[in-house]
Amino acid sequence: MAVVSLASALTREELEARLYEAEETLRAIREGEIDAVVISGGTTEQVFTLGDDGQSYRTFMEAMDIGAAAFDADGQLLYANQALCKLLGRPASELSGQALLGILDAVNQTTFRRLLTQALRERLSSEIHVRVEDSERSFLLTGAPIDFGIVSGVAITFTDISEREQTAAAKESERLARSVLASANEAVIVCDRSGIVTHINAAAERICAEAPIGKRFEEAIALTFADAAELMSGGDIVAMAVGGTPVQGLEAAVKTSAVDVTDVMISAAPLVVSGERTQGCVVTLINLSQRKAAERRQTLLMGELDHRVKNTLAMVLAISARTASHERTIEDFQKSFSGRIQALAATHTLLSNASWENLQIKDVLSVELAPYATLSSGRISMEGLDISVDSKTAVSLGLVFHELTTNAVKYGALSTRAGKLSVRRIGLLDDGALQIEWEERDGPMVTPPTTSGFGQTLISRSLGSGANGGTKLEFRPTGVVCQILIPKYGHFHS
Amino acid sequence: MTEVDKEPVKLVLYVAGETPKSLAAIRNLEKICSEHLAGKYKVEVVDLKKQPQLAREHGIVAIPTLVKELPVPIRKIIGDLSDTQKVLVHLSVEE
Repeated sequence: MAVVSLASALTREELEARLYEAEETLRAIREGEIDAVVISGGTTEQVFTLGDDGQSYRTFMEAMDIGAAAFDADGQLLYANQALCKLLGRPASELSGQALLGILDAVNQTTFRRLLTQALRERLSSEIHVRVEDSERSFLLTGAPIDFGIVSGVAITFTDISEREQTAAAKESERLARSVLASANEAVIVCDRSGIVTHINAAAERICAEAPIGKRFEEAIALTFADAAELMSGGDIVAMAVGGTPVQGLEAAVKTSAVDVTDVMISAAPLVVSGERTQGCVVTLINLSQRKAAERRQTLLMGELDHRVKNTLAMVLAISARTASHERTIEDFQKSFSGRIQALAATHTLLSNASWENLQIKDVLSVELAPYATLSSGRISMEGLDISVDSKTAVSLGLVFHELTTNAVKYGALSTRAGKLSVRRIGLLDDGALQIEWEERDGPMVTPPTTSGFGQTLISRSLGSGANGGTKLEFRPTGVVCQILIPKYGHFHS
Repeated sequence: MTEVDKEPVKLVLYVAGETPKSLAAIRNLEKICSEHLAGKYKVEVVDLKKQPQLAREHGIVAIPTLVKELPVPIRKIIGDLSDTQKVLVHLSVEE
């Protein structure tokens, strides 16, 4: 009857609404869409949660000192403990719903979503990387199924493994750094903040003092800076680099037991290991010795060339003037002048082929005698003339040999079939001068000339300019004999 | 739908603390409101764990429950509001 009276008091619409509400409540309970009910007990209401209200797992999670979070089956965050908020550097409010996914990049989001789905069924672990307050952190995540009363979800723990990874990475990095240092061609020296050598590679060991590690940089390697020997030392360079100012490409001479290293290019840079604090400096030294030697040689050659061109021009002028004053006709002048200039040119060719160095007496003589050597084979002998001379002496000898040869071909031993020529080393005199003898024999009878031609002047003067040098020409009846003295500085006879 | 356009929808969501379904209902309602009722609604969330006596006003039995107070007639949607279409149908004023 109560039902009838209630029904009569309500309109049809109200009754339908109540019926619909009752059906909906049952449906929601059946489908698990609700997890709490209100029980009315007279004047008061009480709320009862179905199954667990979640308080017990929260209390448990909060007691854990590793990061932990609970998610429902849709991957929505139900709860994140304080340890996790601290690990991620964010309050719980910033992690709600799916906000936690928002702090991950695309790759890590995929990993995390996969874990959320798969951990509904089984326990498993994954690794993710998150940027937390300007540093990259790595977390090992372990997910497992969990029931919250009538719903199921996933509980995930977060373990910070960044330090473990960083330690492993640091070890690997150190190993790499050591092998880079060891493999470098350039000498590398590492100093600490106070300028004490701490590391050194094999290339640097060769040019450093013995046991350089532990010594001050300037004690470990003896450097001299050509441009500012008094103003700068190796220690200054290290101090600059340690102070944060890189030093690049300074050239210095190095005193070392390694014979192939005399000059280096030195660069130094601050060594910053972590953060912004300079831990010391890295000094690299590139061996410049070969380049510097080539540069020095080049400079020398340039100066030499300049000097020689001037000398040669002066000599050509002198030869021209003197030849003109001794020859009677233009044809005679042309012949003598050309011959002398050609002799000069031949010696120059020899000199330039030998890079203006280490030309031997026999080379200079051979060039002059070359036109007659085949005709006179067996009649010309050379002995002990493989002695190096300097370039100035080579030019003088070239002219002397030219004049003697011209004379011999015109009037002396080389003008007949029977004549013989011998050029030989006599030996060193007490003052270090080298004596060479030009001796003609079996040629026409010789009578001393009544006038002294330029050829003779040239012969007697050519080597006479320096101390202890000179030539002595004798017109013996048996043949011309010329004693040639090469001053000590002009030859390299030992 | 035309009446929805005229006056704001006033909604009251009854939850029980932070039970998973309560949290899910809050989340789902926020999503529906922002996507379908932007600027046209007022929501009040009532935690019956803290104030169980408020259940009486709308005769709440199951939690979570959403009550559409305005525009009339009053409608109740019981459950975690995961069925968006159903929620939208109920929020519309039926003649």
